[in-house]
Amino acid sequence: MPEPEFFTALRLSLLVASLSAGLLLLLGTPLAWLLAFRDFPGKALLEAVFLLPLVLPPTVLGFYLLLFLGPEGLWTRITGVSWAFRLEGLLFASVLFSLPFALTAYREAFLSLDRNLLEVARTLGVPRAKLYARVVFPLVWPGLLSGTLLAFAHTLGEFGVVLMVGGSIPGKTQMVSIYLYDLVQALRFAEAARASLFLLLLSLLILVFVRLLERRWRAWRSTTG
Amino acid sequence: MEVHYRIRRPIALEVRFRIQGFTLLLGESGVGKTTLLKALAGLLPAEGTPYGGLPPEKRPIGYLPQDLALFPHMTAWENVAFPLRGKDAKDKAMALLERVGLWAHAHKRPSALSGGQKQRVALARALARNPELLLLDEPTSALDPLTKDQVVAELIALIRREGLPALAVSHDPALAGMADWLVVLGRKGVLQEGPPERVMAAPGRVEVARLLGYQNLFPVRVGEGGVEVNGVFLRLPLPPWAKPGGSAWLGVRAEEVMVVREDRPPPLENVLEGVLEGLHPQGLAYRGRFLGPIPLVLLLPRHVQERLRLQPGERIRVALKPRYLHLMPGEAEEAREV
Repeated sequence: MPEPEFFTALRLSLLVASLSAGLLLLLGTPLAWLLAFRDFPGKALLEAVFLLPLVLPPTVLGFYLLLFLGPEGLWTRITGVSWAFRLEGLLFASVLFSLPFALTAYREAFLSLDRNLLEVARTLGVPRAKLYARVVFPLVWPGLLSGTLLAFAHTLGEFGVVLMVGGSIPGKTQMVSIYLYDLVQALRFAEAARASLFLLLLSLLILVFVRLLERRWRAWRSTTG
Repeated sequence: MEVHYRIRRPIALEVRFRIQGFTLLLGESGVGKTTLLKALAGLLPAEGTPYGGLPPEKRPIGYLPQDLALFPHMTAWENVAFPLRGKDAKDKAMALLERVGLWAHAHKRPSALSGGQKQRVALARALARNPELLLLDEPTSALDPLTKDQVVAELIALIRREGLPALAVSHDPALAGMADWLVVLGRKGVLQEGPPERVMAAPGRVEVARLLGYQNLFPVRVGEGGVEVNGVFLRLPLPPWAKPGGSAWLGVRAEEVMVVREDRPPPLENVLEGVLEGLHPQGLAYRGRFLGPIPLVLLLPRHVQERLRLQPGERIRVALKPRYLHLMPGEAEEAREV
C-alpha cells in the first residue's frame, strides 16, 4: 500500500478532478448544444479555440495561465486575488485543459440524437420541459456521463499544466502525478511503483466503465430505426 | 379539406389540393413531398391554410415521419402515453393500443416490433392527442416488400375506421389504388387530382402517366381518327381537344400490349410486327422488349406465356387495342424537362 503522502496527493487530485468534471458538465453541456445545433459567425474559430488545449504543449498552456493568474496577471488585477499556486488556479487550469475532451464527447452525444424524435415530439404538443426530461436527457445522459468521466480521468493524469500553475506544495497543490514525479526525482522507486500501479488500476477501471456506458448507449441508438 | 401552401425553403413550392378521406400525394423523389408534410406539421416555415402560422405544438395533426421516430428508450405503451397527461395516461395508452390491435405488444420496445407494428404504435401515439388530420410520410418505406401491400391496406382500413382524414405522401404508385383521393405532385405544383381510378385510367399529362407506371410514352402527331407515331398510324378514338395536325402524347401500359396469337383470327387494327428482344420474369409475369416500328415494353401474364412459349429473338406481332391507347395533351419538348 502506498504511504499517507500519496493519499494526500491523491485526495487533492480526486477533488480537483471531480470539481472540474462537475464544472465541465455545467459549462460544457450548453456550449456543446450550441456547437451541435446552432450556426453563428465565428463558430469555426470558437471551436478551434476550445480544441486548442488538445494540441498545445501542456506547459505552454500552463505558462500562459500562470501569467494570467499570477500576482501581476490580468485576472489578479481585475479580481484582486491571485489564483496561482492555489486550488482555484488548479481548478481553472483543469477545466480549460479537459474542455476539448468533454466538449467533443458532449457534442457527439447531442449530434447522435435523432432530430426526427425532437420534431415528432413537438407535433405531439408536449411542453418543452417534458421533451427534455423524457426524451433528450434519457437519450444523451450516457454520452454526457462518459464525456465527464473522460474529463475526470484526464484531469487525474495531467502534469504540465498543474505543475506550472500550482507548483508542488505538498498538501496544497501537489497533485498525485507531481507527487509521483517527485518520488522518482528522489530515487524512491519502490514507493513510485506502488503509487503508479494504484493509478494504473484506477484509470483502467474508469475506462472500462466508460466503454460499458458507450456500448449501452450505442445499443440504444441503434434501435431508433 | 382544402390545402393551399406556399413554401420558399428548402425548396420553392406552391400547392393547392383537396384532402378527402385517405388522400395519397404521389410524386417523384425530390419534388418536395416530405417538405410539404413538414410544412403542414409546422416544422418548416411556410404560409398557407390550414394551420398557417401556428407552431407545431398548436396544430391538431398527427405526424408519422418516414422512420416513424418512435422513442427507442420507451416501450410501446410509454410511446403512446407520451403526449398524454394525468394519472390515467397508461389506461388511455393501453386503450389506444387496443384500438390499433397491439394491446399484447404494449410492453415491447420499438426494436422488438415489426415495421407494421411500429407503424401502428406511431399511429396510436398520434391519435393520443386527438388530431384532426394525419400526415404520413412514405408509409410503405419501412415495410417488408413482401407484405407491404397488405400491411398498408390494414393501416388504411384502421385510419378509415377512426374516421380521420389523412394525407400520405409516396412515390409508390401501388398505393394509389388504395386511396380515396389521389393528388399527383410535380416540380411546379399539383399536376392532377381526383379519384384514383379516374386519374390512373386517364392521366392528364405525360408526367402523371410516367408516375403512374405507364412505361410506353411517345410524342405523336394527331391525324384523322388516330395518331401517327414514328411513321406508323394507330387508330384510336380521339378526345375532343385533339385536333388533326396537333401534337400530343400517347401512353400505353406494358400489361396492355397484346401479343397476337397466330392460331386465332388476327385483330383488324394497330398490328405491329417486330422482334421480341429479351424476356425476363417479373414476379409471376414476364417483361419483354418489342423492337418494331414502335419500340414497346410489354408485360406478359404467366398464363399467356405458358401458352405462347415465346423465346427472345423470335418474330412476333403485337396489337394495340384502341381502347387501351391513352392520349394526353402536350408537346414533345415538354417531357424533356421532366
